[in-house]
Amino acid sequence: MRAVITGITGQDGSYLTDLLLAKGYEVHGIVRRSSNLQRPRLDQQVHDHSIYGKRLFLHYSDLTDTTSLRRILNRIVPDEFYHLAGQSHVGLSFEIPESTCELTAMGTLRILEILRDVSPSPRFLHASSREIFGTPVYAPQNEDTPLNPNSPYGAAKAFANQLVKIYRDSLGLFGCNAICYNHESPRRAENFVTRKISIAAASIKLGLQKELVLGSIDSTRDWGCAPEFVEAMWLMLQQPTPKDYILATGKTHSVREFLELAFQHVGLNWQEYYRHDPRFQRPVEPENLRGDASRAMVELGWKPKISLAQLAAMMVDHDLHRLKHSMRQE
Amino acid sequence: MGKSALITGITGQDGSYLAELLLEKGYLVHGLVRRSSSFSTGRIDHLYKDIHENPGLLLHYGDLTDGQALSNLVLNLEPDEIYNLGAQSHVRVSFDQPVYTLMTDGVGALNVLEAARILNQKKPVRVYQASSSEMYGAVLETPQKESTPFNPQSPYACAKVYAFFQTVNYRRSYDLFACNGILFNHESPRRGETFVTRKITRAATRIKLGLQKKLFLGNLDAKRDWGYAKDYVEAMWLMLQHNQPDDFVIATGNTYSIREFLQMVFSKLELDWQKFVEIDPRYFRPAEVELLLGDPSKAKNSLGWTSKTSLDQLASIMVEHDLELAKREQHNQSFQQ
Repeated sequence: MRAVITGITGQDGSYLTDLLLAKGYEVHGIVRRSSNLQRPRLDQQVHDHSIYGKRLFLHYSDLTDTTSLRRILNRIVPDEFYHLAGQSHVGLSFEIPESTCELTAMGTLRILEILRDVSPSPRFLHASSREIFGTPVYAPQNEDTPLNPNSPYGAAKAFANQLVKIYRDSLGLFGCNAICYNHESPRRAENFVTRKISIAAASIKLGLQKELVLGSIDSTRDWGCAPEFVEAMWLMLQQPTPKDYILATGKTHSVREFLELAFQHVGLNWQEYYRHDPRFQRPVEPENLRGDASRAMVELGWKPKISLAQLAAMMVDHDLHRLKHSMRQE
Repeated sequence: MGKSALITGITGQDGSYLAELLLEKGYLVHGLVRRSSSFSTGRIDHLYKDIHENPGLLLHYGDLTDGQALSNLVLNLEPDEIYNLGAQSHVRVSFDQPVYTLMTDGVGALNVLEAARILNQKKPVRVYQASSSEMYGAVLETPQKESTPFNPQSPYACAKVYAFFQTVNYRRSYDLFACNGILFNHESPRRGETFVTRKITRAATRIKLGLQKKLFLGNLDAKRDWGYAKDYVEAMWLMLQHNQPDDFVIATGNTYSIREFLQMVFSKLELDWQKFVEIDPRYFRPAEVELLLGDPSKAKNSLGWTSKTSLDQLASIMVEHDLELAKREQHNQSFQQ
């Protein structure tokens, strides 16, 4: 089997790469060119000579560059296509709405248009987001909940989500939306709140940092574990019919709870280190976001197993190990 | 109040050296960065860490292809100087991604000029456009100077020629203080690792420590005029301090083949390059630029600028740096085992 992954250098892309390689796939990743050769999440696979250049390949392109995408796809002819790339930071999408929509909304449409002409056309997975529900009409949300985005990112994802549906219903594409609620891991980018907290807990423990500055800690999220989510993405493309699935734990926790769990794990009291700064607050905070993943549980046999406490511990341990290692080097 | 500058491409080789230079001169420096989930600020992290003592450096998310966000930023910041160094700067990659390269390097530069044009109506602003010796392509005369006609040989060079002429056009049509620096190759320990000089110094030092066995390269006969990036960013700044806007060739005036650079680097490590280098045709460009040699007389006469570092000195600087990196890598491997 041959798979293409956009966003392969990101959190989900790198876990999906691990999963597919373990299943014997040939994996092709699309990467943006940058003078900084930084792909820390793929380092291990790329430095493994039995994998890189043999079962894992990286191709330069960009979601705005149709001709190079088309050329790459015509050459690879994949069985499965996982579209995970996008400007994925919600807060930032208020600062750079145009490029967010260009990449997240138009980027998805461009890929759908190219796949229309590829024969045979691959099975397609779009990593959609609970941000499409914005301020949800009801909770928990399922696959039939009306879309009501409240950020440029959410609006772009809603557009992409609907187009996947249209290409599936009208043009016969095997296309699925994985409507993902928050999912974290030690590979989460450092400017997302959970990772910011796990790094702070580890750094403060090691005496490298004194305080942690955050926006609202009362906001709640439905937080899952990224490696479990990519497993569900793969399962979605193995089904007889293409459908959209909610991927979520169904449980919500506040940022405060995550703070408490992370700091507790290293024996610290978070209240001694936390400082509030309204600059980190979003213009509109999503509320009431809780996913109902019943369809995925029943049809895919998928069930999130890792608790938030386990996830927090996993993330803090990773950052502790990493920071200790770099301290030893200096 | 001190001056302020906006640098696009601040996370790159030149951007990071220029940021250092401007901070030393007391500028408030703003940088434009593309959003990525993998951090890309490795070359400027040492400047950014001191933010509490030295709040002279601020980063803003954006993209050269997002003209509106760029204009908003420029109008908000009102910088005295804008240095447009951001680009898809890899020539070989531009053959695989021609459209993206033109959007970023060509239209992106136009977006910068447009933003500056609007600001210039309110407050004078000076613009530096990073032009390239690649624009001379299949060279029509040697050495190349400001009057040498362009003859681009790659999508990258075509895009840079477009940006060059737009810069001249904005200078003439809108009275904008806009300069092209036609920089010949300029290297440093911060050069991207897919560029040939850095690829060579990285490989040679890793081979020295037994971390690598072979080095695969393309055309060894291509000749380049190689200078030190740290010297070259000084020229960028000088252009914007000049009494009138103009275009300048920035080069050493000497040219060496890749083969000669290989020899220089490997001999510093007491290795024979011929034992380790293999030719891989995949690294050949579809159309090669055989010989680049710049004539920097105009920059010398008007700006008082000359290249200070010889290629041999540059090779030493790069080898020394990369040897350190390789040692650290060796140490890491023993740590993991």
